[in-house]
Amino acid sequence: MTDSLPAPAQTMDAALTAYRGYVAGKLDTLTGQVLTLKASIGNNDLAAARPQWLDAQLTWQEIGAAYGSFGDLGDAINGLPSGLPRGTADPGFTGLHRLEYGLHHGQGPAELAPVAATLYTDIGALRGKLPSLTVAASDLPIRCHEILEDSLRDNLSGNNDQGGGMALALTAADLHGTRVVLALMATLIDGLQPGYTARVSATLDRLDTALAATKANGRWPVWRAVPLSGRQPVTGALGAALEVLAYVPALFSTDD
Amino acid sequence: MTQHTPPPGPDAPGTASDGAEPHAAGSALPRRRSFLIGAGSGAAVTALAATGITAASRPPESTTAAPAPAPAVAFHGANQAGVYRPAAQQRQACFAAFRVLAKDRAELKTLLRTLTAKGATLSTGLRISDPVPAEDLPAVAGGPPPNSGVLGEDVPPDSFTMTVGLAASVFDNPAYGLAAKKPKGLTGMTVFPNDTPDPAWTGGDLLLQLCADSTDMIHYALRDITKATRGVLALQWRINGFHSAPRPSGSPRNLFGYKDGIVNLAQDDQLVWIGKDSGQPAWAVGGTFIVVRLIRMLVEFWDRVGLGEQDGMIGRHRATGAPLGGTTETDVPDYAHDPDGQTIPLDAHIRLANPRTKATDASRLLRRGYNYDLGVDLNGNLQAGLIFASYQRNIQDQFEATQLRLVNEPMTDYIEPFGGGYFIGLPGVADKHGFLGEGLFT
Repeated sequence: MTDSLPAPAQTMDAALTAYRGYVAGKLDTLTGQVLTLKASIGNNDLAAARPQWLDAQLTWQEIGAAYGSFGDLGDAINGLPSGLPRGTADPGFTGLHRLEYGLHHGQGPAELAPVAATLYTDIGALRGKLPSLTVAASDLPIRCHEILEDSLRDNLSGNNDQGGGMALALTAADLHGTRVVLALMATLIDGLQPGYTARVSATLDRLDTALAATKANGRWPVWRAVPLSGRQPVTGALGAALEVLAYVPALFSTDD
Repeated sequence: MTQHTPPPGPDAPGTASDGAEPHAAGSALPRRRSFLIGAGSGAAVTALAATGITAASRPPESTTAAPAPAPAVAFHGANQAGVYRPAAQQRQACFAAFRVLAKDRAELKTLLRTLTAKGATLSTGLRISDPVPAEDLPAVAGGPPPNSGVLGEDVPPDSFTMTVGLAASVFDNPAYGLAAKKPKGLTGMTVFPNDTPDPAWTGGDLLLQLCADSTDMIHYALRDITKATRGVLALQWRINGFHSAPRPSGSPRNLFGYKDGIVNLAQDDQLVWIGKDSGQPAWAVGGTFIVVRLIRMLVEFWDRVGLGEQDGMIGRHRATGAPLGGTTETDVPDYAHDPDGQTIPLDAHIRLANPRTKATDASRLLRRGYNYDLGVDLNGNLQAGLIFASYQRNIQDQFEATQLRLVNEPMTDYIEPFGGGYFIGLPGVADKHGFLGEGLFT
């Protein structure tokens, strides 16, 4: 959605290297976006900060950081209040969703500036650690499947929503993240199962179309405000994509 | 799960098929795997690429006998099962309404083929050693199994029936080009004076009525069917119901404590199946109109009413099910000799529903409803009632004529119809070569 897809890698090692480069680029983008967001919050310009939060959140989604793959730093950057004793008031609730919460619940610089500062630091820390993070060979095949499982489980369920209502935008970004991983893996996937990448892509195209159809005046509506007749094509296309994506990890499995 | 880096691509001779080897037709899991990734065979690969629901045009294998004594109900026949077949109504049911997301006529046809294959397979039962039905995404080593395992490895027939209906909205959708095939009298559900329709429990393009003798079979079947139709059917509302055991004998009781379904239509009455002379489109012959009404019963309120008043509202004795003045449930009320309602009040439910006159005989319908028990309402009352399901050859002349007689009956104080819909139950599938709704496409 924001940039072109990478060229297919010829080996899993090459795919992992290319993916790491992709994440590094995204984290650089995110660093700049959070710096801007932090400044707006510091200036008490919350009207500017709200769309800037979305920009940053979407960049994070495009990384495709499914299933806690960045550990504690990932939680600090993208954690949720669930499971914390004091919920949204818990000091352990930090990062992008914490800013989303504050920006949609009448909070200002006093509460949010320290959160933004910590977020900026955490992203820097992740960016610094990235070259040394080891990634299992199974990571990318699973990621092909599970980024969009998270869209269904976390975004479209409303579980992630801290007031922004942007589940559709986040899902579109997740879709892009999935396409990036799939593009990197295309040669490897098709080597195991000729034509499978095209088959997956067809389901993703349908999801793209369904997502786009919800837009009004070029803007993403709040997901829960979309009528059922508009939600069904989105969840239907997502479900169909997931059924097909679920086989990608198995292609690379040695289970018997 | 153990993962490994796959071998490099085309440059390394033989590696592609080596890479596929773990999934290939081996000894341990032969036929289930071979459909998906058959050792690199071109046919298997093509099958995978074309899978999803398009593969459903291949009829399911039905060579396996029922694995357990639980009976199988024939799927094939002139009419769909779940209406008169099996003769004894099953104990459990699910009524589920779906939005159809098929983008065009071809996808709709494929969907109906998939549903047909599912209905046939689930009715017959399935053993783990059977080939994966063509309508399923097949198993891959290390991947998701095609069978949820809720019933264990083998799927018993369990008197399972699947009955499919289409709403008017399918015929009105220009993408399907079915306007000329729309049955006469298939409208949206009429809102009657005592109804309080809830959008969350109404609408839907396609009805699935799943019946079986156990709750886990119902759950399995719905889950299995939705997986095979993901992206084409969007589940919109669903409700599970149960058909009680006789207490102590005779017809089962509803949640008001009254025997229900004592008087019902026999097939010989010819009021259920759409016939050749019905004036309906030829494709619909052998079908039936299905009316589903979700009727909440305010059971706490009902339980605070005197038995005499309850009996008067129903027109029967609660204990025996006999019409008032009678002794057994099969006694026939004699309205001719009770013109003023001295014995059975003129506004008793059974008297309004079926006045037993020549003029009203043709408005009788087949009922095959289920009790439901959903949970708790806003105020701590039980959310429970009746899934009313009726089958008739004409909605207006039968269901609606009956319903209009019941408007403002005394019992309306204790019930709240809140959902459901009107559907054309498709004609039956003659044999394994046909599919549900086939006549729509000719």
